[in-house]
Amino acid sequence: MPSRVVVTGMGIVSPIGIGTSEFWKAALAGRSGITAIKSFEPFPMEGYRSRVAGQVHDFVPEQLLDGVLADRVDRYAQFALAAVKEALADSHLQMGRENPHRVGVIVGAGMGGMVMGEREITQLYRQQRPHRVHPNFIPVITLNSASGIVAMASGAKGPNLTISTACSSSAHALGQALQCIRDGRADVVITVGADASITPLVFAGFCSLRALSTKYNDQPDKASRPFDRGRDGFVMGEGAGALILESAAHARKRKAQIYAEVAGYAATSEAYHMVIPREDGEEVATTMRLALADAGITPAQVDYINAHATSTSIGDAVEAKALQRVFKARARKIAINATKSLIGHTLGAAGAIGAIASVLAIQTGQIHPTANYDDPDPACALPGISRSVQERRVNVALLNAFGFGSNNAAVVLKRASD
Amino acid sequence: MATTNTTALKIRTALGEYLKREPASITERHHLRDDLGLDSMAVIELLYRIEEVFDIQIPDEDLVGLTTVGHVITYVDKRLGSTRSVAASKKPSKSTSKKRS
Repeated sequence: MPSRVVVTGMGIVSPIGIGTSEFWKAALAGRSGITAIKSFEPFPMEGYRSRVAGQVHDFVPEQLLDGVLADRVDRYAQFALAAVKEALADSHLQMGRENPHRVGVIVGAGMGGMVMGEREITQLYRQQRPHRVHPNFIPVITLNSASGIVAMASGAKGPNLTISTACSSSAHALGQALQCIRDGRADVVITVGADASITPLVFAGFCSLRALSTKYNDQPDKASRPFDRGRDGFVMGEGAGALILESAAHARKRKAQIYAEVAGYAATSEAYHMVIPREDGEEVATTMRLALADAGITPAQVDYINAHATSTSIGDAVEAKALQRVFKARARKIAINATKSLIGHTLGAAGAIGAIASVLAIQTGQIHPTANYDDPDPACALPGISRSVQERRVNVALLNAFGFGSNNAAVVLKRASD
Repeated sequence: MATTNTTALKIRTALGEYLKREPASITERHHLRDDLGLDSMAVIELLYRIEEVFDIQIPDEDLVGLTTVGHVITYVDKRLGSTRSVAASKKPSKSTSKKRS
């Protein structure tokens, strides 16, 4: 019989707080982490159509991390290291007592080391001095730099993988970690989502895609408004989330605190379009159905959905349509929220951060508000979306994550039972 | 009007290059999506080319009205005629973002 898989530790770096308790306090207060981007030195912001983002302003790597390791990696991997440090401490996992080859690391990252990447490319073209490209450039921009450095920092020698499926990356990381433990290939998987690419080129690229909000440059905290009639695109965010996943037997053996069970997962492709979802929502619905089936859970058992809900016009409407397809009348009874309304879209980190919000909802019985849900869009109005905290016992939560490349993921979390 | 003819020719040429078809076969009545098969991403790519050709910037909120070749020609003409002032247009309107991310 495959192992059941549980969450025993969590850590987070987000625009509304570093550390799960700070994050959760701000999330329940509905505090927005979206602010005006001051500048991309030396680029004036006037050249950008969108000028707001969910940035982590108070991250000082030296205060959180061992200096030498942190210096060798880009901002997204520093976020990953900080989130993992908190999650490991929270889990009380003693690596000295573990078989290191039974502890894996799976990281979801959409963009990778773009801070150094952009800087080095710019300098090379400007100065035309190839010998001055930084010796650490390749290791830093290689997309598995975070999973590598997390292993080095923790001593985890088991499966070490990076999943890059754009905005669904860390939902897939959770799913792959689930399968890895179920299959008996690891006892513990340090599961992470991380991205930090609010950089001049990447930000300009999303502007050119016309994917970002542009109407609220003067009111940054209003810009991310999933499911609201006034939404006009997503807001870029940055951050990292880490969850310690382990087999229930292993967690019990070491008397670990168990926060929730990761019960099911599905991965699909719409095989449709690089950036546009199928408008009928059927592929998203199929993904949710498969994840529920994998968990052995019926739609009637789901209490809460942490929606992908990025605040794009079509994306939110398609997701709402898909929810109605799967849950039918129950869609009106399920509590739904959008973590991105508070922190923006953290791309590869979004799945992991959404999973943390889901686990905390199971733990606390509180569902954080969806900020700026002021004027419900009839195309996606569901009674379970609220600007206020919702109090309810959550036994089963569903997490959605969809990414460019026609990519869908859904993860089922549930209250841990004995 | 000479300006319109020049604008129309440039836009039809840009469309022809993008769609890999003869510019003369593209008419002002053609609907970008229904007749020419451009999805929302393809429209954005086309407008990106047009911004370069005419040295203008098209704000997101103006995309809503650009559904036919004729609309695009009229819009660009208007922008060229009113020079810089339209760039400051901030009329709020329905969102056009079609992305999933």
